[in-house]
Amino acid sequence: MNTEYDIDLVERYFDNELSEGESALVVKRLKTDAEFKAVFDRERALIRSIRAAGLSRDLQLLKEIERGISASSQGTVRRIQPWYYAAAAAVVLFAVATVWLFPNRQTPDELFNDYFTPVSNTFAPTLRSETLSQPEAFMYYDRGDYATAASLFGEMLVQEANPDVLLLSANANLAAGNTSVAEEHLLTLIRDFDEYDTPAKWYLGLCYLKQGNVDKARTVLEELGQREVFYTGQARELLRKVK
Amino acid sequence: MVREDIIGKIRSGGPAGLAMIYEEHRDEFLHWIRKEYGCSEDDSKDIYQIAILAFYDNVRTGKLQHLVSSIKTYLFGIGKNIVRDTMRKSTRHIAIDQERWLNENLIDEPGDTMPEQLLASAKSALERLGEPCRKLVEMFYYERKSMEEIVAALNYKNAEVAKNQKCKCMKRLRRLCEEEMKRTSITINHEY
Repeated sequence: MNTEYDIDLVERYFDNELSEGESALVVKRLKTDAEFKAVFDRERALIRSIRAAGLSRDLQLLKEIERGISASSQGTVRRIQPWYYAAAAAVVLFAVATVWLFPNRQTPDELFNDYFTPVSNTFAPTLRSETLSQPEAFMYYDRGDYATAASLFGEMLVQEANPDVLLLSANANLAAGNTSVAEEHLLTLIRDFDEYDTPAKWYLGLCYLKQGNVDKARTVLEELGQREVFYTGQARELLRKVK
Repeated sequence: MVREDIIGKIRSGGPAGLAMIYEEHRDEFLHWIRKEYGCSEDDSKDIYQIAILAFYDNVRTGKLQHLVSSIKTYLFGIGKNIVRDTMRKSTRHIAIDQERWLNENLIDEPGDTMPEQLLASAKSALERLGEPCRKLVEMFYYERKSMEEIVAALNYKNAEVAKNQKCKCMKRLRRLCEEEMKRTSITINHEY
């Protein structure tokens, strides 16, 4: 009988997640149970088609590369350096992204500057003075000295990963131009805490724009734009410009 | 680059890595195979492309974990096997069917046969699967990416979410495959 259990067993077999005993059971049933074998064969055919499609795609990629080499070597014997392909791919991608995604010629950096405003520091004074090691960080943040605030928030986070501090620290780092630190804090916030998923995603989208990673920015903004949350309006507006 | 570094780069990298390896050994390989076996320029390129993909696939699937020789020697070895295999099967010149060679040597198990109708249905089902499912299952089953790598590339919340999504995508793919199987069997019956 074609049961959910059998399908799950077969899927885990192909994903190498079965114990020795379970694997032995699969092998045994393949010899004696025709219906189970049909479930197994269908899974094998599907995985085969996935792998064949991947190989076919990579083969086409190599043919494209070969055409590029042949074209560039006609009339010249200059050897093309390996890095050329990565650079060429990046240039093509960037050109496509710029033309397709930014018909109004606003660059990701310009969009970031238009839309980025550091999150308001509305955290309770008790949190600032009693439980945290660097309460003056909030003061620097309020004054707009984001580089100093980012440094102090960093020290606080070494002691404890507090979601309020993570959000402020991400914003301070984003304002100070430390996008990799900001990205790390925002991803931690989304992954490990539930309190600030929405603002974290908004600022993550902006962070990716600042980094020039348009695809990632679009993915995050699309997700925000699909829900009715505080940042939805802004996300949809920005997404229209990014698209 | 150190050999083990290259293997690591292939496992974690994308198309740019494939392009770099391709270009790095291309001229020497083409020169060698034309001189050694008298292959035409087009056949030499076809064989080289197969050799590169076989090397890549062996790294990804874990069949090749440590290189005992250089990449060049490994690629030349695959090239030699492809030429001999082709010569054994035919005494006259026939252009190499690259996709067929890749499927027979990298995907199918020796002596393993599956009904053509099932394979065709699986292929059609995959074409109908849509994104992001197609990308996800391809990253998992073809590129052999870990769930953590898939999380980073496709922006899932965590590995568990990505795993659940992969299971849902496979469920959808099975359903599409069943639909294709039914559709094909109805078509076949109508032909008689």
